[in-house]
Amino acid sequence: MKKTKAVTIDGRVMHIRREKYYWSDFFLALPAVLLLVLITYYPILELIRISFTDWRLTMTSAPEYVGWKNWTWLFTAKTSIRYLLNSLQVTLVYTVCNIAIDLGFGMLFAHLFNHLTRPFAAMRALVFMPRYIAMSSCGIIFLWMLNTDYGVINKMLEYLGMTEHLNWLGDDNLAMVSILMLTGWHGVGYCMMIYLSALLGISRDYYEASSLDGATGLQQFRYITLPLLSPTTLFLFITTFISSMKVYQSVDVMTGGGPRNKTAVMVYYIYDLAFNDNRIDRSAVTALLFFVILLVVTVSTMRITNRNVHYEA
Amino acid sequence: MTTQSNAKSAFLSPRAKHTAGLTVRWILAVLVTVIMVFPLFWMLSTALKTEQEVMSSKLVFWPAVIQWDNFVYPFRKVPFLRYMLNTACVTAMQMTSELLLGIMAAYAFSKGKFHGKHLLFVVVLGAMMIPIQVTFIPLYIVIARVGWMNTYWGVWIAGCVSSYSIFLLRQAFMTVDDSYIEAARVDGMGKMSIIFRIMVPMCKPTVITVALTAFMSGWNSYFWPKVIIKAQNMYVLTVGVQRLRTSYGNEATANYHQIMAGVLLSVIPVFIVFAIFQKHMLSGYTKAAMK
Repeated sequence: MKKTKAVTIDGRVMHIRREKYYWSDFFLALPAVLLLVLITYYPILELIRISFTDWRLTMTSAPEYVGWKNWTWLFTAKTSIRYLLNSLQVTLVYTVCNIAIDLGFGMLFAHLFNHLTRPFAAMRALVFMPRYIAMSSCGIIFLWMLNTDYGVINKMLEYLGMTEHLNWLGDDNLAMVSILMLTGWHGVGYCMMIYLSALLGISRDYYEASSLDGATGLQQFRYITLPLLSPTTLFLFITTFISSMKVYQSVDVMTGGGPRNKTAVMVYYIYDLAFNDNRIDRSAVTALLFFVILLVVTVSTMRITNRNVHYEA
Repeated sequence: MTTQSNAKSAFLSPRAKHTAGLTVRWILAVLVTVIMVFPLFWMLSTALKTEQEVMSSKLVFWPAVIQWDNFVYPFRKVPFLRYMLNTACVTAMQMTSELLLGIMAAYAFSKGKFHGKHLLFVVVLGAMMIPIQVTFIPLYIVIARVGWMNTYWGVWIAGCVSSYSIFLLRQAFMTVDDSYIEAARVDGMGKMSIIFRIMVPMCKPTVITVALTAFMSGWNSYFWPKVIIKAQNMYVLTVGVQRLRTSYGNEATANYHQIMAGVLLSVIPVFIVFAIFQKHMLSGYTKAAMK
């Protein structure tokens, strides 16, 4: 290929340099892309393959192809349906509550800490701090605080006049509440910081103009702040949605899926099938279903909200 | 200010109203901060208590005598130092590869010219949608086949590169003017030295942010190490610390003064990093949201 390309400008023929492509640039990107493909895309294809085989964890011979057997098991077998529906329900309840807690309190705290002085910056940093600590360590701290006999929360409730100690982690409903407390405490600082930086980006003019027109604080929040924060809310919604759907660590540490599977979330179920039932094939099918749910909800949220999100002009 | 004369300010002057608002804000903010910090305070104070103080029916907020002995327990019960070493090694490996590969790829995607650039970038971004919780089974099978079970490499692989850091670094590199690169090229600099001696120093804040995010995700990862490490002396801290709260027969134990000492030791490195790089970390998180 010639290095130059002939173009006609003002009736004269000029020779300009062709856009050059470098193999060296390609090879700079290649290692990262190859590794990413290996740890994300390849496993998805492999999951599809596994889902059509009869694959046990302990197996030594090559697995046989069994067609749609695992898929029919997933959607029709009594053992599957019960746990699948349960895990779907538990995950959904957790996700909805967690999004509400994180985004709600995040927005609230962002307004509360929206005060640009040094002490407030220090307090913001402290509110954000739990985010850095491993969920596995936080889980143990909460296990201790929620301990039925000696936990600080039950003791404080006792001071407030409650006679009976609550069995936080053993009660069907309280177990989920405990996990939500842990993950809410862990994640709210992040939402606060993101909301706060978005709040600081809103021009003061809007508030001044509207207060001249006699708008109250609540009206300003409803008609100025909320719409202008909607891109941020969308961002937080999607990131919190994904991280809530794949919740595992907090559940594993706090309740281990119990009591009576009341906190057995999707990922817990997938892990359980693979490493406790030794059914790699069934685990693969469930993982694929989980992936499809994640993908569909994320993409459709982006599609739907893209139309309704207000971007600052 | 005079235009804001509504019903409320009839009772309070604007100045008094402002002071009242500020006071309420202060009280609420301090209250929220105390509640948020309390679990961490409780970890610290429990770690320093005696067993009697932990198990007493009264609330003991701070121990009468600080019990340093509690910190011996984690090292006795499990190979705690080994866990720390494992975690440090894996985290260092992940940080190195994530930064090195990320910076190279980010340069290619921002300043480089090659066929399929956009397609490959879409491939990189798409990878963000696929979490390890979906892909762990095939990855586990591959690692088992390669013989990387119970090794640092086995843990490393799941966090060896991050599309998120490539994205952040690319955004930063795009802001660097092409003329710097041209000038360096005229001076005879090779591609690698352009990347590491011009691009990286010019985008230092983002590089630090990415390094810190890599540190955090490496140090705190739990799911994949739990899948891939079955040998107890190869555990990382997040998984190993769980062994502190169970007896050898896998029953939950209640010696929380000692357990908390272990938990405290496991989070100290994070606290140190947090204290040093606090500003970078906060700005890093917001940077991501702003895109």
